[in-house]
Amino acid sequence: MIQLRDLNKRFGRRPAVIGLSLEVRRGDVFGLLGHNGAGKSTTIGMLLGQVWPSSGTALIQGHDVASDRARALARVGAIFEAPAFYDYLSGWRNLEILSGYTGPTAPARLREVLDWVGLSGREGQAVRTYSHGMRARLALAQALVPNPELLILDEPTNGLDPEGIHEMRATIRRLHAELGLTLLLSSHLLTEVEQLCSRIAVLNQGRKVFEGALAEARQAQDWVRVGTDDFPAAVRMLTTEGLVTRSQPEGLVSLAAGVPVSAVTKRLVDAGFAVHEIRREVQTLEQFYLSLMKEPAPLESVASLSGENR
Amino acid sequence: MFLTQLRHELWKLFGKQRTYLGFGMFFLAQVVILMVFRFSRASRGMGDLLENNGYSFTDFLSPLTAAAFTNFWLAYLLLPLYGSLIGGDLVAKEAEDGTLRMILARPVSRVRLLALKWVAGAVFSLILTLVLGLTGLALGMMFFPWGGLFVFVPGELFGVFSAGDGLVRYAGAHLLMMVKATTVMGLAFFFGCLPVKPAAATILALSFIFLNFILMNIPWFADLKPWFLTYHLNLWQQLYEQPVPWSRVGESLSLLAGFNATFFAAGAAVFGLRDLKS
Repeated sequence: MIQLRDLNKRFGRRPAVIGLSLEVRRGDVFGLLGHNGAGKSTTIGMLLGQVWPSSGTALIQGHDVASDRARALARVGAIFEAPAFYDYLSGWRNLEILSGYTGPTAPARLREVLDWVGLSGREGQAVRTYSHGMRARLALAQALVPNPELLILDEPTNGLDPEGIHEMRATIRRLHAELGLTLLLSSHLLTEVEQLCSRIAVLNQGRKVFEGALAEARQAQDWVRVGTDDFPAAVRMLTTEGLVTRSQPEGLVSLAAGVPVSAVTKRLVDAGFAVHEIRREVQTLEQFYLSLMKEPAPLESVASLSGENR
Repeated sequence: MFLTQLRHELWKLFGKQRTYLGFGMFFLAQVVILMVFRFSRASRGMGDLLENNGYSFTDFLSPLTAAAFTNFWLAYLLLPLYGSLIGGDLVAKEAEDGTLRMILARPVSRVRLLALKWVAGAVFSLILTLVLGLTGLALGMMFFPWGGLFVFVPGELFGVFSAGDGLVRYAGAHLLMMVKATTVMGLAFFFGCLPVKPAAATILALSFIFLNFILMNIPWFADLKPWFLTYHLNLWQQLYEQPVPWSRVGESLSLLAGFNATFFAAGAAVFGLRDLKS
C-alpha cells in the first residue's frame, strides 16, 4: 500500500529524514514510532505531497506522490494532530468543503459518515461550539468521506483528554475491524502503538532503526527468566556448559543459539537446583524502544537490524 | 467541479465576519462624507467653481456628483486596503490556521487550489466595488435631487456631464475600479503565497502600492508615471475624461492583465515549492 524508497529530507542544512525505506502492506495497522523531532511528521508530509523529498520516492498504491499526487491520494484519508477547521462554519459545511477537494460527494455519504463517527444531529452547529472530542470525530469524518483504503493518522490522540484518547483508540480499532482500512499511525506514545499496531517502524533522529512486527520487537532480545535457590551458581554452571551466553543479576539469562528453554530446565533439575520459575521474557515495547534510542545507530547497523526483523 | 469548489471557497470567504469589514467601513465613510458635504458649507467651493465656469450648481449638486466625489477618495485609499486585506488572507490565513494542511491532504493540485482562491478573491473584489458604487448612489439619492455629474480633481480633471451620460460614466468608472480592486487583491494574494503571516502579506501589498503612489507623485518623476502600477490602477478616472482616452484605458487594462498574470504565476511558483508542515 505504501512504499518509501530511500527517502531523504533536509531543511536547510538540517537533515530531517535520512535514507528512509519502509513498506506498509494492505491491511496493516502500522505504527511510525519515534521521539518528537524524529521525522515522523515530515515523513507523513512527504507521503501526502505536502513536503517535497530532497531525494527518494514515496509511493501509495504504486503511484508516486510527487509526480502523480492525484492518483496516489485518491483513496487516502488523513487526520492530523489538532485538526483545523473553519470554525465559523457548521460541521456539515466543513465536510462539504473538505470532501469537495477530492470530488463530488453525495449528501447521503456525508450523513452515513457522520452517523458512523457519532456526530449525527450535531452537524448543523458551528464547529467553534464543538468539544475536542467532537472535533476529533469531525476530523475522522472528513477523512472517511472519500471512502479511503488508507488512513494516515498523525499523532491522532494529542491534545485529547483520557476519555477522548480511549474513544479515539477504540475508533481506530473499529476502522480496521469494521472498514478493513490500512492504517498508518504516527505516535510518540509507546502504549498507543503497542495497543493498536501490528507492525512498526522506529525512527531515531531521522533514521529508521527498526521495522518489523510488534511481536518481533518484543522478542528482539532473547532473555529467559530463571528463578532458582542459587541463581549465581546456576549461571556459572550453565555458562560453563555453553548453554547460556550472558546473564543479568535480576535473574535473566540469554540462551546460546539453538538451545531450547526445556534443555536449561532439565539441566538445572538434574544438577539439583530448586527451579521455581523459568519462562521466556517478553520485552515490553518500552524496553525495546529505549534500547534502540540509547545510541543513534549508524546507517550500516540500522540496515542490518531492519533486515533481520523483516 | 471547479464551480462547486469555487462555491465552497466563497462559503469560506463570505462566512467570515472580517470579510464584511470593507463593506461596513465603506458604508460608514460614505454616510459621513455625504452628510458633511450636505449639511456643511463644504459644497460652496464646488458651487463657486461650477458657476465661475458658466454652469448652474443646482443642476449638478446631484447623487451622481456626490457619489463620484465620495467614491473617488474611497477608491484611492480604502479600496486597496480592503482588497489587500482579503487577498493577503486567502492563502496565508489558511496556512496559519492549519486548514491548508487539511486541504492538501486531498488529491487537489496546488495550482488548482490557488486558482480557486484567486477567483474567489476576484469575486469579492467585484462585489465590493459594485456595492461601493450602488450604496454611494443610493445614499446620494437620499440627500440630493437627481441631476448631472460634475467631477473635479485639481490640475487633473474637470468633467461636466448630463445625468444620462454621467450615469454611464459612473457605472464604467466602477467597472474599471473592479480591475483595480482585483489587481490589489492579486498582489496581496501573491505575498500570501510566501511563507508569511496574513497581516504581513497585506502590509507588503499596501507598502508596494503606497511606494508606487509616492514615486508617481514626486514631481521630478512625472515622465516616469506610466512605469508605476498605481498609474494604471487609477485607470477608472479616465472614464470621467472628456473624451475618454480609450487607448490609455486599453493600455492600462492590458498591463494590469499582465500584472495579474505575473502575480498569480509568481505566487503559484513559490507556493508550489513550499513545504507545508504543521
